[in-house]
Amino acid sequence: MNLEDELRAALRREDPSPDFARRVAARAQSSTKPARGIPWMMWAAAIAALLVIGFSAAYEYQQIKAERASRDAVIALRIAADKLNIARERVVRRETPANTREN
Amino acid sequence: MRRLFLIAVIAGCAAAQLPAQLLQLRITGLDGLAAKAKESTDITLDSNLLKMAGGFLAGAGKDSKDGQAITQLLSGLKAITVRSFEFKEPGQYRMEDLEQIRAQLRTPGWSKIISSQSKDEISEIYTRMEQGKVAGFAIINAEPKELTIVAIEGSIDLNDLSKLKALGVPSIPVPEKKGKQE
Repeated sequence: MNLEDELRAALRREDPSPDFARRVAARAQSSTKPARGIPWMMWAAAIAALLVIGFSAAYEYQQIKAERASRDAVIALRIAADKLNIARERVVRRETPANTREN
Repeated sequence: MRRLFLIAVIAGCAAAQLPAQLLQLRITGLDGLAAKAKESTDITLDSNLLKMAGGFLAGAGKDSKDGQAITQLLSGLKAITVRSFEFKEPGQYRMEDLEQIRAQLRTPGWSKIISSQSKDEISEIYTRMEQGKVAGFAIINAEPKELTIVAIEGSIDLNDLSKLKALGVPSIPVPEKKGKQE
């Protein structure tokens, strides 16, 4: 057999086995795609960052609230002290005779 | 049986709280005065806000005598309510507007300790005592162009409060307010 015949024999058309199509389809279905999600470390970092931002905002809000409350408390006590002294002075003035006040 | 016991305990606690709540002064009947006023102050601070204020002032004013005096005063308080109105002209409110408040102050528990009345001016101070200590006090100060009601719940020494003015309370280191004052 010469080379030409050998090549022809090797490259001759052959029909596939009867279950070839089924096996190809089955393998195609079972093949898994490579994972392309966000790594867990990225998730952890994002959650940590959100927690830090959340706690900072809450702390800032509490500070503002405390500042406002302290300012209101100071004003309220000042008004209370002022009116208390006015009432006391009026009573003292009323109970002190005019000539004593002049002295 | 256990459930009944629990209900009895809860009811007992609620009943114990009731007299204090009933005696707490509610400033009512002054609606609409703010609209007529040139300036008005409306401050309501409950125990939580007073705690926050006390904590803040303890830090901010720890080095000043005034800050310490205020922190000391606030430590015994449970609530502060102030309604103050300053009018451009006299006759913007009626003495009857104060009746709802004064009626509450006539109930048992409250006693008037200072009263000064003239033709168009009233200064009244009421206290509420519990176990020999001041548990609350109220001030009504009505002048032709000014009306102020103060209600304070909690133990407070009126002499210490009176001294606050001499100490110059506004000078304590409280940061400037960013928003608009009510």
